[in-house]
Amino acid sequence: MVTESTVVNKVSTQVESSQSVVRMTDVGKVFPNGNVAVNNINIDISAGEFISFVGPSGCGKSTIFKMISGLIDNTKGNIEILGSDMNDTGQKRTDVGFVFQDATLLPWRSVLDNVMLPLEFQKMSKQEKKQEALRALELVGLEDYTKSLPRQLSGGMRMRVSIARALVAKPKLLLMDEPFGALDEITRQSLQTELLRIWEKQKMTVLFITHNVFEAVYLSTRIAVMTPSPGKIASTVDVPLAFPRNDEIRTTHQFSDIVAQVSHDLKF
Amino acid sequence: MENIQTEKLEVTQKPSARSTKINLNILSVWGPPIIALVLFLLIWQFGTLLLQIPPYIMPKPTDVLAATIENWSRLVNSATTTILESVIGFVFSVLIGVSAAIIMASSKILERSLYPYAILLQTIPIVAIAPIIVIWFGSGMNAIVIIAFTIGFFPMLSNTLIGLNATDRSMIDLLSLYKASKWQIMWKIRIPAALPYIVAGLKISCTLAIIGAIVGEYIAGIGGGDGGLGYAITVASTTMEIPYLFACGIAASILGIVFFLLVSLFSKLVLGSWHESEMKKER
Ligand SMILES: Nc1ncnc2c1ncn2[C@@H]1O[C@H](COP(=O)(O)OP(=O)(O)OP(=O)(O)O)[C@@H](O)[C@H]1O
Ligand SMILES: [Mg+2]
Repeated sequence: MVTESTVVNKVSTQVESSQSVVRMTDVGKVFPNGNVAVNNINIDISAGEFISFVGPSGCGKSTIFKMISGLIDNTKGNIEILGSDMNDTGQKRTDVGFVFQDATLLPWRSVLDNVMLPLEFQKMSKQEKKQEALRALELVGLEDYTKSLPRQLSGGMRMRVSIARALVAKPKLLLMDEPFGALDEITRQSLQTELLRIWEKQKMTVLFITHNVFEAVYLSTRIAVMTPSPGKIASTVDVPLAFPRNDEIRTTHQFSDIVAQVSHDLKF
Repeated sequence: MENIQTEKLEVTQKPSARSTKINLNILSVWGPPIIALVLFLLIWQFGTLLLQIPPYIMPKPTDVLAATIENWSRLVNSATTTILESVIGFVFSVLIGVSAAIIMASSKILERSLYPYAILLQTIPIVAIAPIIVIWFGSGMNAIVIIAFTIGFFPMLSNTLIGLNATDRSMIDLLSLYKASKWQIMWKIRIPAALPYIVAGLKISCTLAIIGAIVGEYIAGIGGGDGGLGYAITVASTTMEIPYLFACGIAASILGIVFFLLVSLFSKLVLGSWHESEMKKER
């Protein structure tokens, strides 16, 4: 595969606020079969942001996340990821957590062992690993279910385990690809509130994919609106709603104005 | 975290209700085949009696029983030999079949170049290669074990390979995120995910190993000790001990059933807690 791009990772000891965490310049991806998934993606994401990507199916949202996480390479442009211990020379990227659409738990492992999985690739004592996993499970409110198997849990609980697994290595950057897409509205809303609480507490940067404009507005500090064929970012919309946010905010004028703005940009 | 209360685990089933259910289950599972067996034995017994078929053509169940009791120690010796041969052959087919599958699954080039020959090996009838095996390894235990191995090998190989290749893509992506090595992915994800397929292979191979051992004894002769069940069958047929021949045949099929049940039990222990194929009873 011909790759004319380079991934530049600057190493710094500490992520200061307003520092760029992800910077994409003219990033494009053409799959080996000729599919142009995205073209000319330009975005600069600062530390501490909660940014949502909304857009129709197939516009390249997952592709962008896979490039940021290093699962696939970009075929054009630059991706810069700033943060401590980040380089591309085969070191473990514990600074980036990833939550997939389905929980992707290992069915033969208990909840605790599933959450411990990312730590198994790090040098750490067994006891420490267990403590970290318990801490992550407490964060999502599942500390009483450590011994359960995934199939004994509801869909919402499985997603919490998946989030705990992504958080266990204390990532600076959390990528979430439609994590609540398969959940019912009530579970979805309670997980949204919890996610915001965790985000505020952990002071990390969250990149979030969703089809749901209301979800994007409720969660985000900023929304990247994407349009398809080939995928690009049509606009970014700031969400100046104050934190902490609660359910009442969903019915305010300001909220519905932003929803209208995003929906409008989606139709381009 | 109020919503957690609404997501409680479902572990409420009254134990008493469950145990009567299981009793009923046992009856409905074991009742019909036992009744069928008893009927079959009765028809066999009285049919041969009424039609006056001599025991050297068609022995009655009671004749078979008498022959079994009379030749008990001979029968036990032969069965022990056959068990030993098939267990060793089975263990080899599992070890070599699973290892070969892991090697092939870890390299597409190896899989493409070797798997066609594994299929080819499978299509050659065992009776055609058995004499060659006997020539190479001498008649006796070695050749018989190798024949049992040859028959059981392919189901283990192909089942394991299918399982290893069917692993969920997103699980592999997940481990790639952590920069896991190829072997870590194999060990932590692909092999556990392939276990249900491996167990299905075990169930096929275990009965095939007994068939392999008996066919081997047929062709390669005495085997270990005083010879196994296959050898005993050839001897009984030349000496016209037909009731004993039947006893040996029945013993062989009982061995196969016991072997299969043991493997099924093992499968329940390994997969019972998480895999669908062993969870039917809970539903
Ligand atoms: N492995 C691949 N090979 C070829 N084309 C691909 C591959 N993966 C994705 N594509 C193409 O790239 C485009 C973007 O796909 P992507 O999965 O990023 O979309 P998405 O925005 O995440 O959609 P959805 O909302 O449905 O998840 C699609 O047109 C798709 O067909
Ligand atoms: Mg997607």
